[in-house]
Amino acid sequence: MRRWLPLFLVLLLLLTILGTTVFAAEKSGKITIWAWDPNFNIPVMAEAKARYQKVHPKVEIEIVDMAKADVEQKLNTVLASGAREGLPDIVLIEDYNAQKYLQAYPGAFADLTKKINYKDFAEYKTELMTLKRKIYGVPFDSGVSALFYRKDILAEAGFKPSDLNNITWDRFIEIGKIVKEKTGVAMVGFDTADGGTMRIMMQSAGQWYFDAKGDPHIVKNDAIREAFLTYKKLVDSGITKTTSGWNEWVAAFNKGETATVLTGCWIIGSIKAEASQAGLWAVAPTPRLNLKTSVNYSNLGGSSWYITAKSRNRQVAEDFLNATFAADRDLYQKILVEQGAIGSYLPSQNGPAYTEADPFFDGQKVYADFAAWMREIPPVNYGLFTYEADSAMMTVMPDYLAGKINLETALKRAEDQLKNQIAF
Amino acid sequence: MKGKLYLLRVLQYAFLLSCFILAVFPFFWMVVGATNTAVDIIKGKISFGNELIPNLNRLFSDYDVTGIFWNSCKISLLTVLGQLLFSSMAGYGFELFSSKTRERIYGVVLLTMMVPFAALMIPLFRLIVSFNLLDNHAGLILTSLVSVFLVFFFRQSFKSFPKEIIQAARVDGAGEFRIFCSIVVPAMKATYAAAAIYAFMTSWNSYMWPLIVLQSNEQKTMQLLISTLSSAYFPEYGVIMTAIIISTLPMICIFFSLQKHFIHGITGSLKQ
Amino acid sequence: MAEKLPPLTLSSLDKKRRKVSFNNRYGWFFISFCLILLALFMLYPIISSLIMSTFSSRGMISRYVGLGNYKRLLHDTVFLQALKNTLLFFIIQMPIMLFLALMIATLLNNKAIKFRGVFRTGIFLPAVTSLVTYATLFKMMFSLEGFVNRFLMTTHLISDPIPWLVDPFWARITVMIALTWRWTGYNMVFYLSGLQNIPDELYEAAKIDGANALQQLGRITVPLLKPIILFTAVTSTIGTLQLFDEPTSFASGGVTAATIGPGNSLLTMSVYIYNLCFKYMPNFGYAATVAYVIVILVAILAFVQFKLAGDRR
Repeated sequence: MRRWLPLFLVLLLLLTILGTTVFAAEKSGKITIWAWDPNFNIPVMAEAKARYQKVHPKVEIEIVDMAKADVEQKLNTVLASGAREGLPDIVLIEDYNAQKYLQAYPGAFADLTKKINYKDFAEYKTELMTLKRKIYGVPFDSGVSALFYRKDILAEAGFKPSDLNNITWDRFIEIGKIVKEKTGVAMVGFDTADGGTMRIMMQSAGQWYFDAKGDPHIVKNDAIREAFLTYKKLVDSGITKTTSGWNEWVAAFNKGETATVLTGCWIIGSIKAEASQAGLWAVAPTPRLNLKTSVNYSNLGGSSWYITAKSRNRQVAEDFLNATFAADRDLYQKILVEQGAIGSYLPSQNGPAYTEADPFFDGQKVYADFAAWMREIPPVNYGLFTYEADSAMMTVMPDYLAGKINLETALKRAEDQLKNQIAF
Repeated sequence: MKGKLYLLRVLQYAFLLSCFILAVFPFFWMVVGATNTAVDIIKGKISFGNELIPNLNRLFSDYDVTGIFWNSCKISLLTVLGQLLFSSMAGYGFELFSSKTRERIYGVVLLTMMVPFAALMIPLFRLIVSFNLLDNHAGLILTSLVSVFLVFFFRQSFKSFPKEIIQAARVDGAGEFRIFCSIVVPAMKATYAAAAIYAFMTSWNSYMWPLIVLQSNEQKTMQLLISTLSSAYFPEYGVIMTAIIISTLPMICIFFSLQKHFIHGITGSLKQ
Repeated sequence: MAEKLPPLTLSSLDKKRRKVSFNNRYGWFFISFCLILLALFMLYPIISSLIMSTFSSRGMISRYVGLGNYKRLLHDTVFLQALKNTLLFFIIQMPIMLFLALMIATLLNNKAIKFRGVFRTGIFLPAVTSLVTYATLFKMMFSLEGFVNRFLMTTHLISDPIPWLVDPFWARITVMIALTWRWTGYNMVFYLSGLQNIPDELYEAAKIDGANALQQLGRITVPLLKPIILFTAVTSTIGTLQLFDEPTSFASGGVTAATIGPGNSLLTMSVYIYNLCFKYMPNFGYAATVAYVIVILVAILAFVQFKLAGDRR
């Protein structure tokens, strides 16, 4: 009898392993996913869905497509009403809002600290979704910022690509003046109501609108001071083309009226949409501020997937995200090529698509560049009040740029408004 | 004298014509847009292109447009019928059978019209969930069956209805509801036509509440579809324009068919 | 012979009572459906949100502040700006639009004008044109190099392009133009329906008496159209004070933009409510407070308008 015991144990072990794999393989149930952008996030999710369903055909996945503002409206309404019905299983949340949702609705999102291997993701992404040492989401796309520029126009003004590498904003403006002089083309399109550039500047110095305690940190914030000064220099230098709104700004570089675009890498789709400019573009690192703490790497935008804690099919949702966004390198190659989606899943960045040379950028291996820069982005805690802060900044901006108020007044006014807004 | 009249006429036509052109131009632009690609549209092209069929194809293949269109139609038609019935009865009741208590109630009712919807959204959502009407067209329709705007409008319109006719009908022995249905309503066709247009328009274009109540893709309305399409980083304007044209057609049909009730000729029946 | 009490007195009291109960019975009947539906779907949300306005919240975490929210409004620079913007639209844009609508409606009521149906449909069309369409088009037309600036420059009316959507002052003007464009036809429809209820004979009699067009307008049209004018005035007041669609569509970036319009020049109170609920850290209590300030303002303005129209309320 005793001789059979080890064999029996091994058999039991084998059966258990077999049993769990068989059980694990057959997942079923329905999960609902809320996301926005029918040209970007939705097709990406659809691709992930298709891959997952090949292995788990019994899982039903519904992707509900709506505007970003609508996702936020619905999410807030349902979470605030305390209803158990009406929530998706997985929802896309913009990184700037991550802490806001996590702290405003405690317990609403699933703690995935032990479920996902976060070491595989870019550090700055993991940090922004951490609260009290628990990590909550699955990082998705990166908004690593870059300076896209027209090689031909810059060349006409006498600049080679290396001249744009790792420059400061002041140098950028100098170059812009020469470009304007020699070619007549504006260096960059500038929307004075848009706070995106400010965010890029701040994060490049590892700063944000708030200090470590979460209090508004504007007047004494050297990154913001430099940002305001740079905004003014840009506008006063005459190298900008004023645009208002997304369409005008995109149309400006599509029509060749601006020589550079400085924003998150996700703009690549809009740049490539103008097929006639193929082969004329190149990419350089982000300009840095005149501060020791500022580097040539920053971020604008980006979002991540979150699972709602009360989800009926939480396990399936976790398994789905784990199998796709946290493991499938090939998925990332495909979405890079088809949607221009640059993920933050580090193992995928050695893949073929990432190391390819892009003909639109005259053979530059842009994705490899983005991936490299992504690892250098200074992590920043976006805090709870990014939008309130943006609003405070850009409310005072027109008067400051027009010279009606000086820097001190502008910063003080912005800080006062912000303090008022976040009062509880 | 004739010369003066002629000049007046010219000015009147010039004024109307300029209003007309200004009013209609964006619509024309939209129709042109539906035949172009998004890239051309933002560059400012105002000539017709060849992209109408591709845009339509893209729209219909990516979304169940017929289903969504039918959703909007169903919701709007039922809402309009309900609103016309209940709101006109209420307006009639407040005007014809006025009393001190009811005047006070009328005041409160009008006040509710002034509350911005955003304030009511969350409690109303809780209510709908507890009635189990989430993701259901009934949830939308039931909450919109009364329009305080229309109660107000109907009451104001009933003020100009000659009360003598109603008195005469009462003397003849007709019941109140019968008087309402067979005498008052037919005589107020213009009012009902305007009300129907308003009700349909409000319901068809409503956005925030359907956004909150409806969840799944099958229940969506045209407005939600258009919003989804417009919210892309790089919106496909050509496709959006085709969706908007499809969405605007019912409204135009309704206005066209109801507008003959604005034509003179009803007043004859009032003079008895 | 002793005189009995005239039987008429008793029966006239009786008649009055019967009349009142008749009035009541049918009064309640006609308004009951509406009241039940309102009680069901408006009463609870209104009471609930009123209570919410006495709390200040961060998402799910809230604390009681009583009238603290209302006090906070007085020092809230963003709210005060929203209030100012909203009132500007109300004072300037609304009267222009209503007057224009009345003029057009009167013209289109004139049987001597041909093609009235075509004009009617065309001028109403903006009201049905989708928000997305006309906002996109207007933004393009009013851009620095857009159609409007080019037209004004070529006709030498201006020498530099007007920063329509870039400058706070001009941004408001652009939105006012857009609002007028959109809603004039809509109000025209209501006026047209009201004009139908004015019998032709009145105008004919007036003409025989020697009244000219302006006198007819002032003595016949406006007084008889008063209920409808009051209606459009009050509803436009409500619409303007609750303005949300145009500011968000014309602000570059929509609801997720940093500011609504350059320097928050297009921020209206409804948009502020939306921001407080869905864009910023959600403070539903404070948002409800702003909402009720709108209610109070509208109620006051509506009351004034009712009084001006000579209505008893």
